[in-house]
Amino acid sequence: MAKTRKLALMALFTAIALTIFMIESQLPPIAPIPGVKLGLANVVTLTAMLILGRREAGAVLAVRVLMGAVFAGSPAALLYSAAGGFLAYLVMCLAVKRFDEKQLWIVSALAGVAHNAGQLIACVWIVQTPGVLAYAPILAASGVITGCFTGFAAMYLVRALQKSGK
Amino acid sequence: MDKKTKIWIGILLAVVALGLLGFLALSRLGGGTVAVITVDGQEYRRIDLSRVSESYDIEINTKYGHNTVRVEPGRISVTESDCPDGICVAQGAIDRGGVPIVCMPHRLVVKIEGSGIDG
Repeated sequence: MAKTRKLALMALFTAIALTIFMIESQLPPIAPIPGVKLGLANVVTLTAMLILGRREAGAVLAVRVLMGAVFAGSPAALLYSAAGGFLAYLVMCLAVKRFDEKQLWIVSALAGVAHNAGQLIACVWIVQTPGVLAYAPILAASGVITGCFTGFAAMYLVRALQKSGK
Repeated sequence: MDKKTKIWIGILLAVVALGLLGFLALSRLGGGTVAVITVDGQEYRRIDLSRVSESYDIEINTKYGHNTVRVEPGRISVTESDCPDGICVAQGAIDRGGVPIVCMPHRLVVKIEGSGIDG
């Protein structure tokens, strides 16, 4: 892929991810449990990883997390989403080569759990209260469910993009 | 569907089932009557809910934001918050230990522990 084309696609992916992130942050929470959300912007990170590569997806994610905090959140929100995003990205990088494209939803489920784990660790560190670890079981379950959801979305998106010749 | 996919479906289903069960168990477990409100890990207020006979509100204003905590006989909740997601309010009242109320953006935790004011 030409360098300019890659750069343009990265910018496009970042803009789409940021838009999705902003819209999702305006929606009411899907469950009254801190840390449970769909994480739709993850669809873009996964898609970027498959179409552009790991490093490019990491860059898209980093810019989205930073700008998302500037537009929608607080410094505390940045820490939560950076910790979650970073751990999810690490797991995605490790898992993406071990599963084929039809199993992308498994990669995404693992990344979802990692995201919630990272966020919970950041939360324990920030609020200095180990009691919040009581949320670990439900956050593991929600990471799998939301991860599967975004994983299937990314899988169909990648398929459609490849069919249309990108 | 190949074997690897099946194994992973099993693992992921087990995580979901255990997670949900674990959370349900935790939210029903735990005794105690003393509510502890912490901001940034620092204790802000400690209330023995078994000695509360009339409901009242505590206004918490910190550099992170504003929350209203309602203290009722035997239970405690966050009723107002200017945080972006409002999850702390949606969590409703708690009347036992186990799962605390958390307002992540405001670094606020309301949990119930032990019995007696020193417990």
